[in-house]
Amino acid sequence: MTRSGKRLLYAVVVLLWAILTALPWLGFSYTVVWIFLLAVYFTLALSYDIVGGYMGYMNLGHSTFFGLGAYITAILLNHGFNLFASLLAALLLVALFAALISYPLFRLRGAYFALATFGLISLIEVLTVNLRDLTGGSGGISTPPGNHMLPSYYMVLGVAGATMVMSHLVARSKFGLALFSIREDEEVARAFGVPTSLYKGLALVISSTPASLVGGIYVWNMTYVSPESVFGLEIALSPIIMAMLGGTGIMIGPLVGAVFITLVQEFLWTQVPYFHLAMYGVVLALLGLFMPGGLVRTRWFRPLIQWLGLGEAVDYFKNVDAERMS
Amino acid sequence: MSADFIQLLVGGILLGGIYGLAAFGLSITFGVLNVLNLAHGEFLMLGSLLSYGVFVGLGMNPFIAAILVIPVFMLLGVGFYLLLLKPIADKPPHQLLVASILVTLGASLFIEDITAYFWERPVTGISYSLPPMELGDVVISSTRLLILLFIFALACAMQLYLKKTFVGKSIRAIVQGREGAKVVGIPISRVSALAFSIGMALAASAGAFYVTLFTVTPVMGIPLTIKYLCVVVLGGLGSIVGSVFGGLILGVAETLTAYYCGAEWAPTIAFILLILILIVRPEGLFGAKK
Repeated sequence: MTRSGKRLLYAVVVLLWAILTALPWLGFSYTVVWIFLLAVYFTLALSYDIVGGYMGYMNLGHSTFFGLGAYITAILLNHGFNLFASLLAALLLVALFAALISYPLFRLRGAYFALATFGLISLIEVLTVNLRDLTGGSGGISTPPGNHMLPSYYMVLGVAGATMVMSHLVARSKFGLALFSIREDEEVARAFGVPTSLYKGLALVISSTPASLVGGIYVWNMTYVSPESVFGLEIALSPIIMAMLGGTGIMIGPLVGAVFITLVQEFLWTQVPYFHLAMYGVVLALLGLFMPGGLVRTRWFRPLIQWLGLGEAVDYFKNVDAERMS
Repeated sequence: MSADFIQLLVGGILLGGIYGLAAFGLSITFGVLNVLNLAHGEFLMLGSLLSYGVFVGLGMNPFIAAILVIPVFMLLGVGFYLLLLKPIADKPPHQLLVASILVTLGASLFIEDITAYFWERPVTGISYSLPPMELGDVVISSTRLLILLFIFALACAMQLYLKKTFVGKSIRAIVQGREGAKVVGIPISRVSALAFSIGMALAASAGAFYVTLFTVTPVMGIPLTIKYLCVVVLGGLGSIVGSVFGGLILGVAETLTAYYCGAEWAPTIAFILLILILIVRPEGLFGAKK
C-alpha cells in the first residue's frame, strides 16, 4: 500500500518536473510567469518551514532574508559583478546576517520571537529607505535591463528543487531530529545534550539561504527592487500562510498551501480590488481557530497522505493534533 | 542642560507614558491568557480614532473622550475574547502559540485594512491646547503635563486595583500559576475575559492621549505592537512599574533620536533597544533573574 503510494509519489514528482521543464518550449508564456512566482513563494514557504515548522519557532520575518538577498544582488549587479558572483555574495552575506541576528533573537521564545522577527522586517525596510546612497531610498534601484525570464525560471525551479531535497535531508538527519525535539520541549532537548543554541542558529542560517537566493533571482528577473516590493506585508505573509495552510513540519504542506493560495490569488485578487489584506487576515484567523495543523492534517487529506507514504510526519503530531482534528 | 534638551525630555517622557500604559495592557493579557495579542496596537489606533471622532463630532473635551472610550473598548475586548481567543484557550502550548499568532495577526490585518479603507486621510492630532506654562527658559505645554498626570493616575489606579481588589488578586493569581488558580476555584475564563478587556481599554485610552499629540494612521498598529514588545521586554513581564519605566526609556530614546539623528531614524530605535537589552540583560531591566 504504502510502497505503491511512494512509487506513485515519485512518478508524479518526476512527471511534474518534466512538465515544468518543458513548459517554456510549449509556448505557455503566461503560465511560465505564474509558475515562476509560485516557485518563489513555494521556496520561501518551504525554507520558512525549517525554522517555523520543524523547529517550532514562528519566524514571521522570513522575508527579510528574501529582501536582503534581492538588495545585495541588485547592488552588486549594478557594480558590474556577474550574476553568479552577486548571488553567491548575497547568499553568504545573508547567511552571516542570519547567524548574527540569531544570537539576540533566539533569546526570545514563542510569541515574542514571532513578533520580534516581524519587527526585523520593518527595521530593515526603514534602513533601506534611509540609506539612500546605497539603496536608492524609497524609489528603489533598477538593475541592468534584459529579458531574463527563461533562465531565471529554470534557476528558481532549480532552487525550489534543491530546497525540497535539503528540507528532506534535514528532516531525515539527526540535526532534523534535534530540531523536532526543540519544538516539542526545548528544556528537555537541552537536558538530553542537544546543543540548542547552536542548532537554532544553524537552522536559521539554513533557512535563510534559499530565501536569499530566490530574492536575488527575483530581482534579476524583475530588474527592479524597492522596499515596498520585497519588504511588504504580502511577501512577508504569503509564504507563512502557505506553509500554515498546507501544514507545517511536513514537506508536502507548503506545496499544497502554495498551490492553493496562488490559485486563490489568481481568481480572487483579480476579481476583488480591495481588502486583500483583510482577506489574508480572515484566512489567518480562520486557520488559527479551526485548523492550526493545516490542510494535510485534516480528516479529508489524511488518508491520501498516509497512502502516499508520508504518514510519518503527519503522525508525528498525533498526540497533539489528531484528537482535535478528527 | 539646555532648554531644548529639557523640552525634548518632557516630550519623550510623555510619549513614554503613553507607550507604558498601552504596553502594560499587552503584558497583562499575555500574563493571564498566555497569548501575545498582535492586534494590540490596532486598538490604540482605534481608540485614537474613536476619541478623535468624539472630539470632532461632539466637540467633547479629549480628557472626557479618553474616559468615554474605556467602557466601549472593554465591551469590544470581551467580544474579541469570546469570539477569537476563548475557542483556542485550552489547546496545548505549541498549538496555542501557533493558533494565537495566526488569530491575532489575522485580526490585526483585518482591522488595519478595513480602517484604511474607510479612513482616507490621516488624523493629524486634536487641536486642543491649554495655555502653556513657563519655567525660566523652558516652556511646557500644560496639555502635556495634564496628560502625564492623567496617565500617572490611571497607572496608580490600575496598580491599586490589582493589589487590593479580589478580582485584581485573582488576575495576579492566574499570572503566577494557571493550574494553581484553577485549583483554588478562580473562574479562569471569566477573569481572562476581564483581563483582556482591561488590557484593551488601557490601549484605547492610551490611544485617546496619543491622538492629542501625534499623527494617527491606520497602518501604525503593527509597528506600535512591536514597540510595546520592546517596552515589555525592557521592563520585564507583568509589572506595571517595569512597563512604565520601559515606556519612558523608549519614549525618551525615540524623541532624542528624532531630534539628533533625524525623524526618519526614530522608528529604528525601538528595535535596536530590543536587541541591546536581549544581548545584555534578557530578563529585562526590572525582571527577576531566573
